[in-house]
Formats: sequence, C-alpha cells, structure tokens
Amino acid sequence: MSAKQRFRPGAFFLSYGFLMAIVVMIAVFSLYSPNFFSLKNGLFILHAAAPSMILATGVALVLMTGKIDISIGSTAYLSAAIGVVLMMRLHVNPGLAMLIVLPIGAVLGAINGFVVVILRVNPLIATLGSYFTFRGLALQISNSMTISIPAQLGNLGSLRIGPIFVDILFAGIVLAIYQVIHTRTIFGRHVMAVGNGAEVAQKVGIPVDRVSFLTFTLAGFMASIGGVLTMFQVSSLSPTLGQGYEFTAIALLVIGGVSLFGGEGTILPGILLGALALTIIQSGLNFIGASVFVYPLVRGGIIFIAMYADSLKTMSKRHVKVLAEQ
Amino acid sequence: MVGIKKSFPGVKALKGVSFEAYPGESLALIGANGAGKSTLMNILGGVVLADEGVVNLDGHATPIHSPADAARRGIAFVHQELALMPTLSILDNMLIAAFPSRNGLIDYRQGEALCREALARLGYDFNLHTQVRDLSPGDQQIIEIARTLLGKSRIVIFDEPTSSLTSRERERLFEIIRYMKSQGTTIIYITHLLDEIFTVCERAVILRNGEKVAQSLVRDLTRDEVVEKMIGSQEVVSYFQHHVRERGPLLLTVENLQREGYLDRINFSVHRGEVVGLWGLLGSGRTELFRALMGLDQITGGRILIDTGRGPHPVKPRSRKNPMGLITEDRRTDGLLLPMSIRHNLSLANLRSFISRLWPFIARGREEAAARDYVRKLNIKSTSIEQRVATLSGGNQQKVVVGRWLQTSPLLFLMDEPTRGLDVEAKAELHSLISELADSGAAVMFVSSDLDEIMSLSDRFLVMVRGRLVRELPRDSTKHELLATASGISSTGGVSEP
Repeated sequence: MSAKQRFRPGAFFLSYGFLMAIVVMIAVFSLYSPNFFSLKNGLFILHAAAPSMILATGVALVLMTGKIDISIGSTAYLSAAIGVVLMMRLHVNPGLAMLIVLPIGAVLGAINGFVVVILRVNPLIATLGSYFTFRGLALQISNSMTISIPAQLGNLGSLRIGPIFVDILFAGIVLAIYQVIHTRTIFGRHVMAVGNGAEVAQKVGIPVDRVSFLTFTLAGFMASIGGVLTMFQVSSLSPTLGQGYEFTAIALLVIGGVSLFGGEGTILPGILLGALALTIIQSGLNFIGASVFVYPLVRGGIIFIAMYADSLKTMSKRHVKVLAEQ
Repeated sequence: MVGIKKSFPGVKALKGVSFEAYPGESLALIGANGAGKSTLMNILGGVVLADEGVVNLDGHATPIHSPADAARRGIAFVHQELALMPTLSILDNMLIAAFPSRNGLIDYRQGEALCREALARLGYDFNLHTQVRDLSPGDQQIIEIARTLLGKSRIVIFDEPTSSLTSRERERLFEIIRYMKSQGTTIIYITHLLDEIFTVCERAVILRNGEKVAQSLVRDLTRDEVVEKMIGSQEVVSYFQHHVRERGPLLLTVENLQREGYLDRINFSVHRGEVVGLWGLLGSGRTELFRALMGLDQITGGRILIDTGRGPHPVKPRSRKNPMGLITEDRRTDGLLLPMSIRHNLSLANLRSFISRLWPFIARGREEAAARDYVRKLNIKSTSIEQRVATLSGGNQQKVVVGRWLQTSPLLFLMDEPTRGLDVEAKAELHSLISELADSGAAVMFVSSDLDEIMSLSDRFLVMVRGRLVRELPRDSTKHELLATASGISSTGGVSEP
C-alpha cells in the first residue's frame, strides 16, 4: 500500500505559480521593450541580484527552522564598515582586511544566535534589537560618511570573465554549496526537522539548540559576504549600505517557496526563482520607463501574494498535523 | 524495573513499582487514567527521570538519562502522539536520528536500502520520497514503527497505539507486533482497551494509583477480574451530596452527528435541569463531541436541535455560542486574559450591555457593580475586582470563566475536565456550582477522567468508545459497569455483576 498522491490543481499552482508568473513577466516586458529579452540584460539582472541572493541564502536556513533574522542588512553594513575602517584608518592590507571581515559577520550572527537560543528571546525581537545596534555601531565607526574604497577593490565589483560578472559566478557557487548542505548533510536535514516542530525534533534526539545557533551564525557570515560584495559593486561604503536587504531577502525567500512557518522550502531552484522574480520586475519597470515610485508598490503587491500563498499552503499542512496527533 | 518511585508537585505518581519483561513477549501495562502507566514508561524511555529505583537490562543496572540514551540501549518508544515531521519525506523521517553518512554527506543509497528493508520486514513498500503529511494516520504510525526496526530495538513501548487507527489498520498493527515478538523483541503495550490485551499480550501488569496491584498471565485473567483490579474495591469518595432534581423540558437533541474520523453517528438528548456525565477513556471522542456541539469543528453529517422555548429547531454553528457555554481544563483557551483584571475579564463577553446608544464609552460604575456582584455570587477569592487574573488560583480562575458565561445566561454548559489541576476545596466549590446551575434550570454536560467525580455529580451517564456513543447508563450504575463499558467490553453480554 503506497501513499495516495492525488493531483491537486491548487497545490500545483501554489508550487509552480511563481515560475509561471516569471515567464509571463518576461514576456510582457519583452513586448513593451524589445531590448529587455537579451543576454546582456539578463546578465545585468543576475549581477544586480547577486548580493541579495547571497544574503537570502544565509537567512534561508534560519527561516527553515521556523525562526527569523531581520538584522542581516545591518550585519552586512557593520562588517563592511569594519573592513573599511581597517583599511583606510589603520592601513591594514586591503586583502587581509576583507578576510577579517567575514569571521566578524559570523560573530555578529553568533550574537543573534546566543540571544535567541540561550537567552530565549523571541527571534523577531532579538534581531530587531541587533538591526538597530549593528547599524548604530557602524554609523559610529564610519562617522556616518560615505567612504570611497581603493580602486583596485572597486574594480572587483564589475570584474568579468568573458561576458559573465564574477559575482554571478560567486553567487552561483554559494548557492551550489548551500544546496549540498541543505539536501545532503545531516545538519541540513536537522534544520528541516526543527522547522517541523522543536518539541518533536527534541523527542527524536536532535540537538535543536545547536542547530538553531548554527543557522544564525551562518546567516551572519553570509551577510558579511553580501555586504562586501555590495561595497565592491558601488565602490564605496555608504551609510545606507544594506538598508532594506533583510526584507528583500525574506521577500525573495517567500516568493521562492520558503515558508515562514518553517520546515519547508528549497535552496535551488527556490532562491534563484525568487531573486529572478524580484529583479526582473525592477529591471522591467525601468525598461518600460515606469516611475520609480511604482516599484515599491508592485513589489509590495508581490510580497503580499507570496505570503498569502505561504499561508494557504500552511493551512493545508496544519490540517494533516491535527489528524496525525489524534 | 525495580522499585520505581516518582513524584510530581502535589502527586505521588509512582509509589515503588517493580516488574520484569522477557524477550519475545508482549507485556500489557493496564490501568485507569492517572494510574501511572505513562509515567512509568516515560522513565524507561528516558523522557523523565525517576526519583528512586533502577532499571536493569540483562541483569545489569542501567541508568537512562535521555531519549537518546534509551535509544542507544535499544529501547524505542512509539508515542501516542507520533513524533514525525510532516514536511519531510518518509526516508528522512526514518533516518533522522541516525543518518548513515560518508565523507560528511548523507549516504542516501545506504539509507534507502536500510529503510526499504525495515519496511519490507513489516510488509510495506512505500515510495520513500513521499512526504509524511500525505500519509494516513495509520501509515504514519507504520513509519514510526519501522523506525524502531532500524535501531535494532530490543524493547519497543507502544503507548495507546490504536487510538487513531481504523479497525483494519489495527489488525495490521497486531500482525506487526506478533512478527516483532517472533524476532525476540520485547513489547510493552499500554492500553485502556481490554479486548486488545487479550488479542496481543501474554502477560499483564495492572497499576492503580501508582502501585502495582496485579501481575499475571493474560490467559489466567478474565475481563471482570481486570476491571476489578483496575478500580479496586474502595468506595466512591463522596465529596459532594447529590440530590434528585426534577427533570425539565427537552433542551438539546443531537441526531446522527458525524465528523469524519472522530465522531460516528452520535444520538442523544439533554433536558433542562440535569447534569449529564460524559464518560469515556482518553481519545474516545469526548472533547471532539463538545467541540462539534459548539461549532468549533465542522461536522460532516447530522443535526443539532435546540429548544429555546419555541420548539426544537436546528441551530447554525455561529449562533450556537448563544445558548451554550464551553468551559475546559485549559483556562487560557477559554479566553481568560491572564494579565488583565477580574473586572475586565468578567465584562469582556458582555461589553455591549455597559454602553448606551448615545454614549459609546463603557459605564465604569455599572461594570464594577456587575463584577462585584459575580465575585460575591461565585465566591471568587480575591483582594479586589482589579486583581490580575494571572495571580488567582486555578479554581478562582475557573470561576471567572463561569462568571463570564453566566452573564450571557446560557441554557447548556459544556464542561471539559473543569476541575483538573484544582485542589480539593476548589473542586468541591465547583461541584456545588455545577449543581446550582442545574437547579436554576440550565443543563450541564461534563467530562471528567475522575470516575469518583463523575459518579457523584451526574444524573445519568453517556459512555463513548472510539468516537461512538455506545451506551446510556443510569445514575445508580456501578464503577465496574462504567469502566467495563468504556473499555469496549460488549455492553450487554460480556459483563456480569461482581
């Protein structure tokens, strides 16, 4: 007797709806603007999406355990700021400075992990706190100034191998590594198990706290990579670096099918699809000459639809859960 | 297990229990609600720690500190509430505690082979990549059992394994248990349902109030003996003087009430001025019946008729809250706002009566007067009506809930374990409150796992077994009759008076 797996049109649409939406969007934008559907533009879209994809990848595991981290934008800014201060004021070798930055991100993430796991503070509140403190610290040490970085580093941001930007390749590698971590390692499976309910996971013998702590640490680590990458792209450290990244990342994940309720979602193709959907809209609206004020509105609408779809999916999941408990 | 003792705050759950189990046998652990079965097994499974006593495996004292510890020693627990992760695949669920790995990556090829083999031994061939949430409850349980086979478990504890199964799935489970026994596995089988013991178990240990009262071969026992030992010979502890009331006019009629998987063709009626005890074992559908009556769960068939004075008429779920009030053991779900004051909690459902059409602000004076009135009437012990509800004792919190409902003057009170967790005095007060409600013409249906309590309060009993209302019993029924009926012993032929 094997499980019944009926075809449910609703479930099918919930799973593949956004893939279809992306195809429709590309078609519409291409109709309005013939240059939209070109390799060159496609590469620019991916180039622009690279940092947020990396941030989103880091925070994806946190979401999959059913928790949240809204401090990653500030983590990105603080670690980039520390790197700049090391380079410009303390005259540390630029390459070394960038290497120091990455573990700093991990430490910032570990602080979030500590507050959530050990001090048992609600993740939203804990990371709201670090959202403000990390950014405040960064503004403090950078004197709230826009600081240009050395040209050789700035050039890295638009470095290409052939026609392809290096940061696209980099984001691709990060996604691939995470895909393996998520689907093929014990840690990855434990993340999903915790997302299904910490109590059950504990009963089965999973180190729930250790798993959660690690996801926050990794999210911080990835945030610092994303921050440095953004800084390279714009050749400077600006006081608004990383602002709004946390919400872009979470929106991107939800659009890509990661549930805020935990225990659900994929790295590939989920994150890639989510990132594409968001950046295609932005770029497409640009191409057809829409007002810049339209973008937040459209993005807001899409996030809302994605959240609603998530809630619908979870409702059907809850139903089964209740049955199982009886 | 030797001399196991365990106390929880206020209760001695186990008072020195010893028993032994042998390879290849199935041992039944029997007892009424609260006898200590689950606590005993939670100690063996490492879920809770014993205060005193030792566990011997193969004759050696073996300390067990955690579920992982128990698993390492070959003790597996199939919980009543399955420990499965619905969004993960069958494969991941089975392997989750011990993934085989190679070079830091999960070795799914080996894992699949292990799972396939374990399932095959039970006679199953699932698609291992199916998500567990897409399986029926019975199939989900198979996955949990198959998981115990992976760990080469020597002792498998089943806690009420059949409560969510259909009769065919139950047969299948018994097959599996027989197979496991033939492999030399020790089975410890916890249940309330006596017919199951006679089907799958060789020996039985009977617990009552945290003590072992009997241990013998199942074939040397009769059902009557088992029931007798479960309840003991003590008299009904009467904390409460029951008096006969005039039975009022018909209030509620339930016809063929059905909810897929939970309630099966329920028929009964309730009159004004009577206290009806709804009796059944855990998982028999008592709470589900109340929820269905209140319109909290959608029903799949049947009718609910209420006579509010204009003849019986069907009521929609939404408007049912009017003539009915639900009180449960979990006072938070009854909408008690713990950080708020008694006054706020009492007036919450009835705020409309404290405002007027022209002046949309709450009339503080009248609100306070009403609160004081109910505090006095229900004897809610508090320093003032402004005291936070969170700081009240359980019994007084329960009275605030009752007070809230009283303001909307319901005709029928549904009470689900209303006295659980209350001390003796609070219980007694709630009992007389229930009786007064009935005296004043309301009907009360209540559920309690405490047999003494339900026997002293009820005018008559309705007994549920596995989602069906199997029998109605009069007030003068014996403990034995109640327990035997609820344990699924055939309602007419099987039981003789002791």
